[in-house]
Formats: sequence, structure tokens, C-alpha cells
Amino acid sequence: MINLLKVLYKKEIIDASRDKRSVMAGLYYAIGTPIAMCLLLSVLLQQLTSPEGLKITIVNAEQAPSLVAHLNANEIQSTNDKNDELLKSITLNISDDYQKNMREGRPATVTLIADKSNDKLGKHINRIEKALASYNAEVASLRLISRGIDPSIMRTLAVETHDEATPDSKGGMFLGIATLSIILTVFYAAMNLAIDTSAGERERNSLSLLLSHPLSSLQIVLAKSAAIASFSMLGLVIILIVSKITYGLVPWQQLGFSITITPTFMLFCFAVCLPIALMSASLQVFVSFMAKSFKEAQSYVTMVLFIPMSLSMITTYDIATDIIQWVPIAAQQYALIEFIKGNPLPVPQLVLSTLITLILFSVFSFLSSRMLKSEKVVFGL
Amino acid sequence: MIKVTNLTKKIGDVNALNGLSFDAKNGQITGLLGPNGAGKTTCLRTVFGLLKADSGETEIDGIDVAKNPMEAKKNLGLFPDPCGLYERLTPREYITFFAQLSGLSSVKAKAATSEVIKKLNMDDIADRRCQGFSQGQRMKTALAQAVVHNPSNVILDEPTRGLDVMSTRILRDLLIQLKEQGHCVLFSSHVMQEVAALCDHVVIMANGQVIAQGSVDELCEKAGKATLEEAFIELIGSDEGIAA
Repeated sequence: MINLLKVLYKKEIIDASRDKRSVMAGLYYAIGTPIAMCLLLSVLLQQLTSPEGLKITIVNAEQAPSLVAHLNANEIQSTNDKNDELLKSITLNISDDYQKNMREGRPATVTLIADKSNDKLGKHINRIEKALASYNAEVASLRLISRGIDPSIMRTLAVETHDEATPDSKGGMFLGIATLSIILTVFYAAMNLAIDTSAGERERNSLSLLLSHPLSSLQIVLAKSAAIASFSMLGLVIILIVSKITYGLVPWQQLGFSITITPTFMLFCFAVCLPIALMSASLQVFVSFMAKSFKEAQSYVTMVLFIPMSLSMITTYDIATDIIQWVPIAAQQYALIEFIKGNPLPVPQLVLSTLITLILFSVFSFLSSRMLKSEKVVFGL
Repeated sequence: MIKVTNLTKKIGDVNALNGLSFDAKNGQITGLLGPNGAGKTTCLRTVFGLLKADSGETEIDGIDVAKNPMEAKKNLGLFPDPCGLYERLTPREYITFFAQLSGLSSVKAKAATSEVIKKLNMDDIADRRCQGFSQGQRMKTALAQAVVHNPSNVILDEPTRGLDVMSTRILRDLLIQLKEQGHCVLFSSHVMQEVAALCDHVVIMANGQVIAQGSVDELCEKAGKATLEEAFIELIGSDEGIAA
């Protein structure tokens, strides 16, 4: 039994590794994703940390020089040049009696004119409103002081926030995306090989010859799954190494947190993903055998892989974590995130989901081996 | 020895096998002769357990294929149609792989592979990948795979298709050699000359049934014709499929 498995496994590995285009197609994902992500992150970080200049139209600016100066200090400038790239279609209208009202200590009207349904303007409008509010508070405080009143009387609550986040735990969303890309490698790196070795093998007529030999269909399925899982794990190792290098180049310090891929994390990730790789391989073999042709298998496998992807997405975007964190893939990804953050591992969830993953692997393998006993499946009838 | 008793098999709405019975004895070459669509391939696939008969029995060396497939298949060499090559493996790897699946140890499989490669004159292609092989080279590789583990029963589905004269002669010599060593050789064909030249026992089938069986001479005598071809047409009652 074991010996035959070894023979079958060796053949699958040789056969698959010579299919260079399929192997590379899978590995491009593992190499490309971390690089693409780091480029995106770098751009995003730059945007977050240095607010871009904002130019608006201010009507009657000469009425309120100190307000305009305050806005300038917040990098909100006035311009009359219609072709200025930074000019947003936001107008701040300062009323004609602004100076008079200001002098007399009455509310002076400024009108903010903008289309609030325009998503692109939303954050700019917020910025202007904040700047106006802070100017309002500043002037009001000065007025109270000039009347001999302590301005703190205007503050009923003194809100103090103690941020308990460690630098590593702050990057929640980024961590989610990083681990998502790592988990997905396990599914996508060997997808072509999985289809080729099952639906492809049937189409090339070698499957029926294989089944005519004295071995059980379960041995064939297990050897195939093991070979596919090996390539998935190769993809995983590559994405971990590439991630380690590229994440080191992202200017994390600007955000006050960092994602560092340590050798311990790489080992942990390898151990956690091994059962997932086996399950993914057996699932893809199962779906490919269910399809009647190679092309059909390609569509179905792509569709089915949407399930693990959405589970992983749910973890990434932190939806329904209470229940979902017990479900395979989501739970393992959660454990990976907690590991990077340096938090205690969710051991019961991890153990249970790993068990379920292995049970799914057995179920899919068993179902595939059952299918190989059906003449309809073997001959694609 | 291969024994088929009363096989029936329905594929879709077609009765592919319709109460088929015949024997293929050790030390004999048995030819399964029939027009296209007679059920030859279905019959052979049932013998090596890929298809399950609706009723009837298939025995290899006295072992029921349906009840004990693993044991039965151990004594079987198979040359399928189509060949089922692995395009990315070399013939040497391919033959060794199947030799190991048939139960040979790694060392023995390698030795047997070298031997069969020599026997079939395929040293020149043995270490090239199968991709781009000619039909004849494919057939030789598949044939080597069928006999590498020296099985007591060899089943060949249309073994001469696409072979040139030289390769056909090699195949013929190989089959005769197998027969002399006491193996049971069963092959399907619709090429009369091939069957006439090789077979000790001919089973003529049409519509999933055995029409007649016996040696070439017996069949000619039975039909009252001089050649197997004429006897064949006389026996199945039409000239359907002969041209193929």
C-alpha cells in the first residue's frame, strides 16, 4: 500500500514538474502577490500620512483674513485659477456682513457650497468642516477670555483615550490582507496541476489504464492529492520568502505599526497550512472528476474556490467573527493574524478547525475514490 | 486463461454485450474479430474490470474479476485503445512506472524495462519524452507497458493500428513468443490478415454476441469459403465494417 503510494506520488511529481507552464502559472501568484501588495501599501501609506493639498474657491476672502489664514495653516488654500489640478468644486462663501458681525460678537455667516453626494468630495468637505469648527472654538475661547470667563466652562466632558494597541496589533486590516494572500496561495498555486492530473488525465485516456492495474482508486486519489498539496506548499514557501523580503521594504514606521514575517511565523504558517493544502487538493481533485471535461473542470474549480476565499475575506474584514472563527480556513487565518500580533493563540478554535479540515480531506478523498469506481466518471460519459 | 460467460452490458440504450461467452486458453493466441461497434472494446474493458457487466461472469486464471479485481488484475497485461501515454514521461519512466504498479520492485521493474525496451528495438526512443511520438512509437511504448511484468494473460485492443511493416513484424514475433512461453494472448482486431496469420482461435462477434468460433480453418470450413475474410462476411451476414 505505502510502496504503491510512493510510486504513484513520484510519478505525479515528475509529471507535474515537467509541466513547466502550469507550475509557473501557479507560482507567479506566489511571487507577484506580495510584491503588488507592498507597492499598493506603500502608495496608500503615503496618502494616509501626508494629506494632499486642497484648494477651494473662497468668495469674499478679503472679509475674513484670519479665517483664511487658519485654513491655510490646515493646508486648505484659496485659488482663482480654474485649471488648478488641486481645485475641488467646493466654494466657501463669506457673507458681506462677516466683519461687522464678528466685531459685534454675533454669529458671522459662512456658507459651504458643495455636492455632498459626490463621494470623492466627502473627505475634503469633512476636512473643511473640521477646520471651521476648530476656528470657531478658538475665536469663542478668545471671546470668553476677553470677558473674564474661563473658556474651560464650555467643556463639560474631558475625554481621554488610552490606546492599548501595540504597534503590531494596529495594522489589523493590512494583516488581514497579508494573511489572506498567504492562505489563498495554498488554494491557487496548484490549481492548474490539480485539474491537469485529474480531468486532464482522464481526457488523455491514461486514467482508465491506471485503473486497470491492481491498485485501489483511493491510492490513486491520495497520491494525486499529496502531489498537488506538495506544489501548494512550495507556493506557500515562496510567498512567505517573498513576503519576508518585500514587507521589509514597506515604510511601516509612518503608520506606527509593522508586519514582520519572522522565521517562527513562517514555520507556524507552514504547519497550519499543511492540512489546508491537503483539503484544498482533495477538493480540487473531487470537483475536477465531477466535471465531464477539462474546460468544465476549470470553471467549476474556480467557482468552488470562491468558498474558501470568502471565508478568508470574512476574517480579513472582521465580519461575524464570533461564529466564523470556528470555521476552517477562517479560524486558521485568525490564528495567523493573532500570531503576528503577538496575542495568545486561539488554541481551541485552531485545533477544532484543523480537525474539520482533515475530516474534509478524508471525505473528499473518499468521494473521489468512490467516483473512480463509476464507469460514467472514468470515461466521462 | 480468460473465460467469459454470458456477459450482458447495456450502455445507454444500446445492448453493447448480449450474452457473450468464449474462452481464451493459455499457450494460444485468441482473436476477437468483429465489425466496428460489435462490442469488442466493451468486452475487453469488462474483462479488466473497468466496466461492470449487467450480468454474466469474467474469470482470469479462475479468479472472478468482479469479486476479486485486485488478484485478477495481477495476472493481466493490458494494451488499451487509445494508448494512454503520459506525454511528459519517457518510455523508460512510463514502462517502469506501470511495472511497479503491477507489483514489481523498483530494481526488478528497471531491469524488466531495459529488457523489454531491447526486445522491442526501442532504445533510440527510450529516453525521449513521449510528446511528439509517431503512432508507431506510441504503440510500441504501450505494448512494452503491457508485457513488461511478464503477465500470464495479455489483452490487446487493436494492437496493429498505425504500425509500419517492421513494427507489425516485431509485434507478431512478440505475440508468438508470448504464446510459446505459455501465456494467454487475447486481442481484438478487424484486420483479417492479422488474425488469419496469428490466431489459433478466432471468436467472431457482432452486436455483442458470438457468431462463431474456432480455428481459422474450422471457420472457413463452416462457412464453406476459402479465406477468412469471405467466411467472416458469410458468417455475420453483411459486409458492414470490413472496409475499416
